[in-house]
Amino acid sequence: MRIIRLKTIYLTLLAAFLCYLLPWSGAALVARPDFMLLALLYWILRAPQFTNIGTAWFAGVLIDLASGSLFGQNALAYAVTAFFAVTYQRRLVLFNIWQQSAYVFVLLILNQATLAVLKLFAGGESPGWSYFIPCVSGIILWQFVIFSSISIETHAKKA
Amino acid sequence: MARGIDYQHSPAFFVRGPSAFARLVFFAALSLSLMATDSRLHYLNEIRLGFVALFQPLQSLANLPSNVMQNTQEYFVTHDNLLKKNQQLTKQALLDSVQLQRLNSLESENSHLRSLLGAAQNSKQEAKLGEILHMGRDPFTHKVVVDLGSQEGIVEGQAVIDGAGVIGQVTRVYPFSSEVTLITDKELAIPVQIERNGLRAIAFGHGRDTTIDLPYLPANVDIRKGDKLVTSGIDGVYPTGLAVAEITKVERNPNSPFADIVGVPVAGIKNHRQLLMLSLPKVDEFRKSAIKQLASSPSEKTEKPEAAAKTDTPTVAPKKP
Repeated sequence: MRIIRLKTIYLTLLAAFLCYLLPWSGAALVARPDFMLLALLYWILRAPQFTNIGTAWFAGVLIDLASGSLFGQNALAYAVTAFFAVTYQRRLVLFNIWQQSAYVFVLLILNQATLAVLKLFAGGESPGWSYFIPCVSGIILWQFVIFSSISIETHAKKA
Repeated sequence: MARGIDYQHSPAFFVRGPSAFARLVFFAALSLSLMATDSRLHYLNEIRLGFVALFQPLQSLANLPSNVMQNTQEYFVTHDNLLKKNQQLTKQALLDSVQLQRLNSLESENSHLRSLLGAAQNSKQEAKLGEILHMGRDPFTHKVVVDLGSQEGIVEGQAVIDGAGVIGQVTRVYPFSSEVTLITDKELAIPVQIERNGLRAIAFGHGRDTTIDLPYLPANVDIRKGDKLVTSGIDGVYPTGLAVAEITKVERNPNSPFADIVGVPVAGIKNHRQLLMLSLPKVDEFRKSAIKQLASSPSEKTEKPEAAAKTDTPTVAPKKP
């Protein structure tokens, strides 16, 4: 087993944050996958002893700062998503790759939905269905992870 | 080869720290209290400013690729294109200069008339040219981030315009950048006037579409499709007469006491990268001087009551002895 260093994790998260900071606009902004959440989910599923709900929360605070939204909105959404990721992390070994991506897709939708609810409470306008496009683009990005050499290996994949 | 889920630290069955649910509860409580503090008490603004200043190098790093691409594209503009553009701009400048000459004479005439009437002079507002760094990151709001910040003297509340009309207002100022809320944002309202008949109203951003609404106007209001909305200037932020929007839909529903009026902003926020940030008019200093004048010469004041007939002068009507 390859050793995972804490440094690698934080560098990945930093890279994801940089992707988030890129000057997206127009249709790309609508379809922009949530890089930070994808990186977080990857590490939560692969190295749960290093990344946990706290990591997700701090990453969410970073996103809150960068996006100028209310403090703690993204943080709470990430924490909730991370909670469900951590809860079923042990079962991931039994999933095949399609079940795994379905699981990640559900987590992405959960994150967007939590965020939408929080923003609606804060007085936002309901954003319409295009708000969930990042989940789709995110899961497409996840497919690259699955078929690349950094995929999270499961027992079911071998079978 | 095997890159399984990492168990390098042999799974400790009992030493796993607090349970996931306990962590979730802790962090959820933390973020809820943060949200409450931020939205109700506004204590966290300084912290946010500090962190955003820290992010500045990261942000410029992220902006680098697109900047480089843009610059190379600009470098490879064809000669023909440049000539065409130059011709177009020269023509535009000529047309504008004609207008400007008329404007100068009208302005002097206007100030003369105002001095005859004893009304206060309209103050000129300085403008700074800013460039859009990126669009807002939150799909719920309509915002752009501009490259001028408090270091360049930008303050909250400044009006932002482009060549065609009003874009919005500065709502948050960071040291090296500032956040402009567009007039299509749900949170932003702008006092307008209909150019055709001078009717005053307040326009609100629609939020989801790039349109603005004129709510709370009676169903029999005199507004037609195609009417132009300009700033009325009674807010003391936007100068008078800037184009805001054009009415595209007027619906009168017999069930509702209000007309449903929708307009489309004229400023092309999607088309340009440059915009102008107008400085706030110096209303407060004007008020101060007006109050001083009132205090020093009350007798003169009673002779010319119309001198105080300016909307933003405090109405400290001197009592006649």
